[in-house]
Amino acid sequence: MTQETRTMQSSVDLKRLLGRVGNSLELRMLGLALAIAVVLSIMSPYFLTANNLMNVLDQSVVIGIVAIGMTFVILTGGIDLSVGSVAGLTGVILGLALQDFSIPVAIAMAIAAGGLIGLFSGVLIGYFGLAAFVVTLGVMAIGRSLAYIFSGQTSISSIPMELSDLVYTTVLGIPTNVLCLGLLYLLAGLYLSYTKGGRTIYAVGSNKEAARAAGLSVLFYSILPYVISGMFAAVAVTFLTAQILSVDPLTGNLLELDAIAAVVIGGASLYGGRGSIAGTLIGVVIMVMIRNGLNLLGVSPFWQGSAIGAIIIFALLIESLLSRRSRA
Amino acid sequence: MDDVTNDSGSQVILQASQVCKTFGQTRALDNAEFELRVGEVHGLLGANGAGKSTLSKVIAGHVFPDSGKIIYRNRALSLRSAREALDCGIAIVMQETSLAPDMSVLENIFLPELGKPGRLSYRRLRQQAKRILSDLVHEHALPLDTEVRRLSSAQRQLVEIAKALALDAGLIIFDEPTASLSPNEVEQLFGIMANLRANGKALIFVSHRMEEVFAITDRVTVMREGATVAKSVATRELTQTDLVRHMVGREIGSIYAVPGLRSPEAGAEETFAVEGLRALPAVKNVSFRVHRGEILGLGGLVGAGRSETAEALFGLRPYQAGTIKLNGKAFRPRKPRDCVKAGIGFVAEDRRVQSIVPDLSVRENLLLAHLGAHSGFLLNYSSRREKIAELLDLLDMPASRLLDANMLNFSGGMQQKIIIARWLMLNPSVLILDEPTKGVDIGTRSSIYSMLRRIAERGVSIVMISSDFEELLGVCERIIVMSDGHTIADLPSAHLDEEKLTLLAAPRTSTERNTKLLQELTQRYGGAGFWAIVDEGRVICLNAVVAEASADPGFQAGESPSFDQTAIPTALQHPQDDFVAEPNGERRTFLMPIPSKRGHDLGWIGLVTTSPTPPSVQNVRDLVIGFSALDHEVEAA
Repeated sequence: MTQETRTMQSSVDLKRLLGRVGNSLELRMLGLALAIAVVLSIMSPYFLTANNLMNVLDQSVVIGIVAIGMTFVILTGGIDLSVGSVAGLTGVILGLALQDFSIPVAIAMAIAAGGLIGLFSGVLIGYFGLAAFVVTLGVMAIGRSLAYIFSGQTSISSIPMELSDLVYTTVLGIPTNVLCLGLLYLLAGLYLSYTKGGRTIYAVGSNKEAARAAGLSVLFYSILPYVISGMFAAVAVTFLTAQILSVDPLTGNLLELDAIAAVVIGGASLYGGRGSIAGTLIGVVIMVMIRNGLNLLGVSPFWQGSAIGAIIIFALLIESLLSRRSRA
Repeated sequence: MDDVTNDSGSQVILQASQVCKTFGQTRALDNAEFELRVGEVHGLLGANGAGKSTLSKVIAGHVFPDSGKIIYRNRALSLRSAREALDCGIAIVMQETSLAPDMSVLENIFLPELGKPGRLSYRRLRQQAKRILSDLVHEHALPLDTEVRRLSSAQRQLVEIAKALALDAGLIIFDEPTASLSPNEVEQLFGIMANLRANGKALIFVSHRMEEVFAITDRVTVMREGATVAKSVATRELTQTDLVRHMVGREIGSIYAVPGLRSPEAGAEETFAVEGLRALPAVKNVSFRVHRGEILGLGGLVGAGRSETAEALFGLRPYQAGTIKLNGKAFRPRKPRDCVKAGIGFVAEDRRVQSIVPDLSVRENLLLAHLGAHSGFLLNYSSRREKIAELLDLLDMPASRLLDANMLNFSGGMQQKIIIARWLMLNPSVLILDEPTKGVDIGTRSSIYSMLRRIAERGVSIVMISSDFEELLGVCERIIVMSDGHTIADLPSAHLDEEKLTLLAAPRTSTERNTKLLQELTQRYGGAGFWAIVDEGRVICLNAVVAEASADPGFQAGESPSFDQTAIPTALQHPQDDFVAEPNGERRTFLMPIPSKRGHDLGWIGLVTTSPTPPSVQNVRDLVIGFSALDHEVEAA
């Protein structure tokens, strides 16, 4: 009798587990990514070559790193429209700093600048309660404008060759930049799942009132994501600069849209509280794969925008239908 | 009471049969039956969660039933929106929450008009509003151009009522309209309802206050757990006991789990003391103390400032003055974090908005306060493993449900228990609960009560806020009564009943008027005046003004001495229609009941004098009556 109830209990548990797997947005999106990969490899013989796959990973680095910061911001229910122009501005700062300082110092300066800009937005949003959309829209305009002013409206091409070591050296056959991308995703994933700060970010995004009433530091963790986002924009532009050995004030234009799209495709809710780093990584890969595939297929760049837009809307539609079901 | 006999002649205007409605997993209506006739006030009763509000909303078109049949004016009624209900002449007066706070009184009264096509003539609306208000109270009862959010609760309720009248509806539902009204205002509302009834309207009166049901209704339908348990019984044929038995399904008292009140050990230490707390605008002067292992009730009407007090004590709201002592030491909460670390827990009124984190699992929700109190970088959830097992036992919940992704799938009662357990995780010394049984069905309520008892037995001091006086009286050992931001009484619940609590909790505005009366009395005749409830060998003082110390009756506002403990035992024991002298000959006291049109017990006015030649009783009486007549006028302004 007890044995029987136990088996029944465990079969119920199994069902619940299966249900959870089926309900997991990450897994569905992983399925979508695989489906896209299969379709692309059928349509283009070049897609599934080692060379091209490495290419896809390489192209994922910049948007991937920016998307980590964006995930933090979106998890708290905010948005950061300024990442593209912060990348542009910190790129210019990096380029200028490299003229006078060593590479590590210059990179540190760029990242610190990104963090400070993020702190500025974060304080306005977290402490003064301004709308994230508007604040980061303003910072976006300021950042781009400063990038032009600091750079003297031209690109800076006198970048030391050694910077490219960040991209062209390999560890165990994997390029350093891809390795760094993987490492940052691992750290961010662990942080969000297993630390007080990470869980607080989820709680703040899901229900700020409840988080405050439980004694969590709502203010600190409302600001921190913007700082992280600004710093990661600088990290991303460092890798980009290492790759092309030149800095343009226009760098990172519209990067914010790709990053937001990747996070949303990865299952995060723009209302906050829902999403994951793993999902964002899948979202990034989907975005880059589609771009890569469309290029391989020779689709006009004018059509590529429509394709990507359609995919973003499709992902949002799924999110809304599912959340309607689970929150009803 | 107006003697309207609705026995057979009146025609049936609405007939609902076998109405069912399910929300998620809760069966809100389970074959509910209801019948309403023209020219009657029909009481719809039931405990919290019995389905009376859902049934009213079905009739008003706010909620669509899953099944069932509703016949209205001899035709099947199938409402798809509140708009359609309005067009049919069905209006509902809600508990003040259906107003648009940023719009003016005028716009709110005519809010339903905005849903109609065509242009609005504000001039015409203004005239119409004045006409409605003069029918209701008088023309200037409400400032028409003021934004609704600047009104008091009672004024908002008046707007709600005016809004329903503006529709000229034939069927009006009053959904617990008296929750925030003072006894005088209730009287006035009942006067209006009697008028409407006389004009052939059909009224539904939703309430759980017995005395009101007996005062105004002609027939009564009682609901329990979504079903109709007593249909259209004439009020005259009922007693309070009958009603309670129908509502609860068993004798009252048994839902409060543990028989008898357990008072904390004598001399238990004081864990939490609040003195002169001011957190404007809602909290003006609040003081209370709670002991180890005690359940203290904080009672009052909606808008009395109880939730705001709790929020200020928990660091969620700044306060301007007051001292707080926790375990004997001064404590100054600036943010919830301070309280969490100091061992104070707070279960807020609105679970959905203030407590539940929907995107975290049940386990993480349970561990949320741990996260707030914890100061490391990692989570350290594992340190609470044993505590979780212990709490699961208290919650009576299988461990497998801990991993449920969505806490909103649980019943309201279980959600509340999980939130309470969230705080128990930290072994708090003080737990503050704001309306812990709101939206919890009656079956689960008793399990929450017994949970609270068990927590108190472990030495936690509990402060429980509730608008449900019956619940306060059943669960708490001592009750602090608040009114308009002031704590006005601190009484053992054994001295109180629902009626006395209602009087004590009356809004300050009516108290102020009584203070004025008492001042007027003492100015004219000297001595001391008081307003009190006199009952069963005990006097519960609502207000006292002492002009001459020698005439002090021996009690102050908020106290409940037995007759022997006062300075005027003889007068209290044998009230006469004249001044009664105490045996020692010092004080002479005249007691008279406050006149009430509808038989409400509004308490007694007493005048104590030391003069050997007391004033004429007739003069005193005229003064008091003059003031109560004035009451209605002032109340409206």
